[in-house]
Amino acid sequence: MEQKPKPKPGVCVGWEEKLKELPEIKGDEKLLQKIWQDNESLAYMYIWHCLVSF
Amino acid sequence: MTQGKEQLYQDRLKRYVIAMRNGKPDRIPIRPFVAEFTAKYAGYTCQEITHDYTKAFAAVRKCAADFDWDAVVANMVYVWTGLTQTIGLKYYAIPGVTIEADVGFQYLEPAEDQAFMKPDEYDELISDPTGFLFNVWLPRVAVDVQDMGKPSTYRNNLSFLKGGMAMLNYFNSFGEQNRRLQEETQTVSAIAGILKAPLDILGDKLRGYIGLCMDLLERPEKVRRACEALMPHLLHVALSGADPDKNVPITIWMHRGCVPFISHEHFENIYWATLKPIVEEIWRQGYQVLFYAEGNWDHHLHSFAELPEKSIIYHVDQGDIFETHKVLGDKFCISGGIPNYLLSYGTPDEVRRQCKAVIDVVAGDGGYIMDASAIIQNDAKVENVRALTEFIREYGVY
Repeated sequence: MEQKPKPKPGVCVGWEEKLKELPEIKGDEKLLQKIWQDNESLAYMYIWHCLVSF
Repeated sequence: MTQGKEQLYQDRLKRYVIAMRNGKPDRIPIRPFVAEFTAKYAGYTCQEITHDYTKAFAAVRKCAADFDWDAVVANMVYVWTGLTQTIGLKYYAIPGVTIEADVGFQYLEPAEDQAFMKPDEYDELISDPTGFLFNVWLPRVAVDVQDMGKPSTYRNNLSFLKGGMAMLNYFNSFGEQNRRLQEETQTVSAIAGILKAPLDILGDKLRGYIGLCMDLLERPEKVRRACEALMPHLLHVALSGADPDKNVPITIWMHRGCVPFISHEHFENIYWATLKPIVEEIWRQGYQVLFYAEGNWDHHLHSFAELPEKSIIYHVDQGDIFETHKVLGDKFCISGGIPNYLLSYGTPDEVRRQCKAVIDVVAGDGGYIMDASAIIQNDAKVENVRALTEFIREYGVY
């Protein structure tokens, strides 16, 4: 079974994993990565604040 | 904001920050951590301020306006039960639902055999803490969230959608609350960012206290490794909510990581060994940490003294504030030391006497912030909180 890398703080599904699912990027990959990671951080904060704050 | 109001706010911020850096401001800052007391004072029930955070915010602003404090927590009844009910979290007793409407919310710890994490699941938590929380922990703590592999449901989907949007709304609303505190009452928002110790998180939300104690005896290495796995995440959460201006501290709410809840050995080798590096890293990045030492942490004052000078503010609850001052006073600001029972059952004269006793010993060279020992709930008498405030205004001038 393929061993998934351990997600870092701030990340639930890493950009590297998502990128593999996409066709060849025709535009600005950095932009895609930034927005993906920004939204990732929201999901991350959701679960960690459920644990730590609520 | 007019120039005079802006100046008043800046004066208060300066007073608060100087004291937190263990310096001597013009007078002792007053920063009471008022929780359900705000409801009592502003004419709300506990249910109203706990379940409707706009009322909680209004109650804080009313207290800030009337008591003229230097700093307050924007909402010390932080657990908005409207959110926890939306997500479906099982571990809260909500005022007006399972407890009386004018009683503060309660945390319900499950029985040992109902713990939200099982003793054989440490490796899963250690290998991917975030995945474990989403896939294993959340379905156990949230009534509508389905176990992984089971068919999803309408209510499962709504838990995430409504929970996520409600949490975002709540967090975003603090910006407006802080702005209103600054502009309307010139009050400093006292803290920003939350931290908990890895071992406290394991006990509070995963294994439960009894389960954790058994694990400390039966599988201490797993406990230590789990705490290490939690460290980078708890650091990340703490920094993500920190004050961008680096004025006010991140707060660590300290629960059951002290003697006699755990042994000295477990404190040193696990609790402190996995908390100290987090605090040091936070300080390295330019933020202080407010140690809100709930209960009595006097056994561990010498460990806290290992931290870099000024890196923390140490809040005394049931510990000995005079002993704390002896051990930590040269390095860190101290707050608290006015027992809550005195605010509930004492007289204004008794409150004034206790304030004087603390100030005379602890605050002589600055580095002290006036506050009760623990968060002030709706059992505190208004006249006693007023006596505390007015006494410090007079007697707390340097």
